[in-house]
Amino acid sequence: MSGVIVHLPRESGGADGEPRADAVTLRLGPGEVARFGRGPASLPVELRLDDPAISRLAGEIRVTDDHWQLTNHSTAHSYLVENPEGAGEYLRVPPRRIGAPIPFEFSRVVLPTRGEATVSFQVFAPDHLYLDPDAMGVPWGNRTVTAYSLNETATYFLVLVALCEPRLRDQSRVAVPTTPRIVERLSGHLASGELTARAVSSHIDYLAEEKLRVGAPDSPEPGRSDRRNGKREEIVGLALRFGLVREEHLALLPPLARTGGQERQAAR
Amino acid sequence: MSAARTTGDDLTDVLPPGCRVGDWVVTRLIGSGGWSTVYAARPAGRGPGRSGSAASPPDRGDVALKIMPTAGLSPRQVRSIVESARREVELGRRAGHPRLIGFREWFVLASPERPFLEGAIVLVMERATGSLRDLIDAGVPETDRGRLIAGICEGLAHLHRSGWVHADLKPENVLLGRDGSVKLSDFGLATELTGTHGYAPPMGTMDYFPPERWKAPLGELGVPIRPTADIWALGVIIHEVFAPGVPLFAGATPMARGAAVQEYGEGRAALRVDPAVPPLWRALATDCLAPTHQARARHTAESLLARMTTAHRRTRVVGAGRRGGRARTAALATALCGVSVAALCSDTARTAPGAPPGLVRVYNAERGCREPVDLDLRCSLGLAVDPLLPYTAENVVPTRVWHGDVLTTDCQMHGGDPVVDEEDRQSTRWFRIRLPAGSGPSTAWLPAVRTREVPALPECR
Repeated sequence: MSGVIVHLPRESGGADGEPRADAVTLRLGPGEVARFGRGPASLPVELRLDDPAISRLAGEIRVTDDHWQLTNHSTAHSYLVENPEGAGEYLRVPPRRIGAPIPFEFSRVVLPTRGEATVSFQVFAPDHLYLDPDAMGVPWGNRTVTAYSLNETATYFLVLVALCEPRLRDQSRVAVPTTPRIVERLSGHLASGELTARAVSSHIDYLAEEKLRVGAPDSPEPGRSDRRNGKREEIVGLALRFGLVREEHLALLPPLARTGGQERQAAR
Repeated sequence: MSAARTTGDDLTDVLPPGCRVGDWVVTRLIGSGGWSTVYAARPAGRGPGRSGSAASPPDRGDVALKIMPTAGLSPRQVRSIVESARREVELGRRAGHPRLIGFREWFVLASPERPFLEGAIVLVMERATGSLRDLIDAGVPETDRGRLIAGICEGLAHLHRSGWVHADLKPENVLLGRDGSVKLSDFGLATELTGTHGYAPPMGTMDYFPPERWKAPLGELGVPIRPTADIWALGVIIHEVFAPGVPLFAGATPMARGAAVQEYGEGRAALRVDPAVPPLWRALATDCLAPTHQARARHTAESLLARMTTAHRRTRVVGAGRRGGRARTAALATALCGVSVAALCSDTARTAPGAPPGLVRVYNAERGCREPVDLDLRCSLGLAVDPLLPYTAENVVPTRVWHGDVLTTDCQMHGGDPVVDEEDRQSTRWFRIRLPAGSGPSTAWLPAVRTREVPALPECR
């Protein structure tokens, strides 16, 4: 729970389809501001968007509470904020609007350009909080709550349930599923389209780094070779140990195919 | 919410008055939390009598039953409930103290006629009259405020000395005994320190989280928790008690206030203590609310308590106070004298150059142990049971002290067992130290080489 993450992917932006130099990731704490735009030297911006159609100072992001606000410095263009997991859910932030609150955990900010391609970057707000299932229907002001809460309708949660599935089903210490197996398990199940292996990996990273903040200080041996696998197992261990994923969540997954049993045996 | 979790029907899951649980009879519902429901109860052998109605104050034999249902839960959920109960039982058994709620017994309920209670874990605890939250809501009388905070601090000092962290300190968990005394309660998240950290389940109450908690990593054992987390919560409570209704961190939801706490922790916002908080308590709250763990670590519950009592003494001992006695401080401090620190108040007005009368500050000759770090057990020093016997592990009380702790001493003794410290200083002088009430022996002995302050003290008889 530490603010928002702004991510400008490598392939995005770039005039004439030229790839950008590098992906940019900014981490903003509560109260912090990041400006974005074409940004000349005299007016530095934290996030440079290299497109002639974009103003020198196009807008700014300000982290407030558990969400963020978008200010549109353009006098002519509206910006779109899309929720990639929201089945077409989006907000339009009109020109000169100050501090429009953005309610999505995942957002893609889309800026218009002259060409076909738009410029966009992503903003993640992992601090969104959810009521404990036990605590429904009672005032929660001063309650003791689970401090790590997950959106049970998000794709990352589905990935997490799929990761935990083998352990939840037969309680044995079988291996945590690999990325290709997760892709296969969730294929055809998402409204927003197919999950790629890369998407699954980034959901796992997001869970580990932003949602659970899986800490390594407990393991005295540094540099375990198979880092990625260690991370998966740790996520599964924590999610089950602290009840973040429970038996009832298995219902979120598509029903097991008839071949499921064979596959599981084959995997051992 | 046992109710919501088991059948979803609250009415069937609340035990009616008169219902028998083990050797106890429920008199009324006190409240319910995420894991448990708490009832007032009386011994089964006694008639409803005086304490039958909800309004009358509890009787001496009355108890509170904390019932943690396990029926209908997955094995993992049951395990975490058992874990929570285990923490309470362990702490109750091993760290009893007048400032902690008394723990009597625990049992597992067999209740065929009420399936939702089958297998429930029941903790039987001392019955309190209410919580600090009730008192804050009703308005804490000004004369009681200092006493209440000192009581909480005393309880914390004991917990921390015994190697525990409360991890969920808030006014709801500060109960009040029949005599108005403070009793810390709800040790479901309390954790025993292993080295500098303990680990608690990833739960808590957001308005009492220190800034570093918002970024704490989650490990196999849970979230790392250090005693400074309790100190932060104490700071929040001081502000709540002295400036009721004034938010310390602004925001409409706990998350928003948490964001404000993080802004403060990262130095982007200042701490705004309400001007209504009197100077002494403002200073204490500010220290408790130091933005980082490192800055907070030097303010232990023990040292804060010593400051509360010292400030009180200053205003009482004519001419000894450096800042002079402000009327308001004096009034609060007098109230403080009432219950929690009565022992100090009986001391005569005796002053000594360099050190406040009757107080010694612990000095650790090991340089590495003088940094304001966590209460590492390796850096702790022992207090002897008998100063005439060798100063060895067999001859020390369970209470440990650390560099910088301020202890209360009432007399000194020359000619005890000679003690040589790591810097080759040697002395046969010992100070008799008063231990907080309830910590086994009421006094113990500090070798004079363990302090650099030499107060003028009478010779012990």
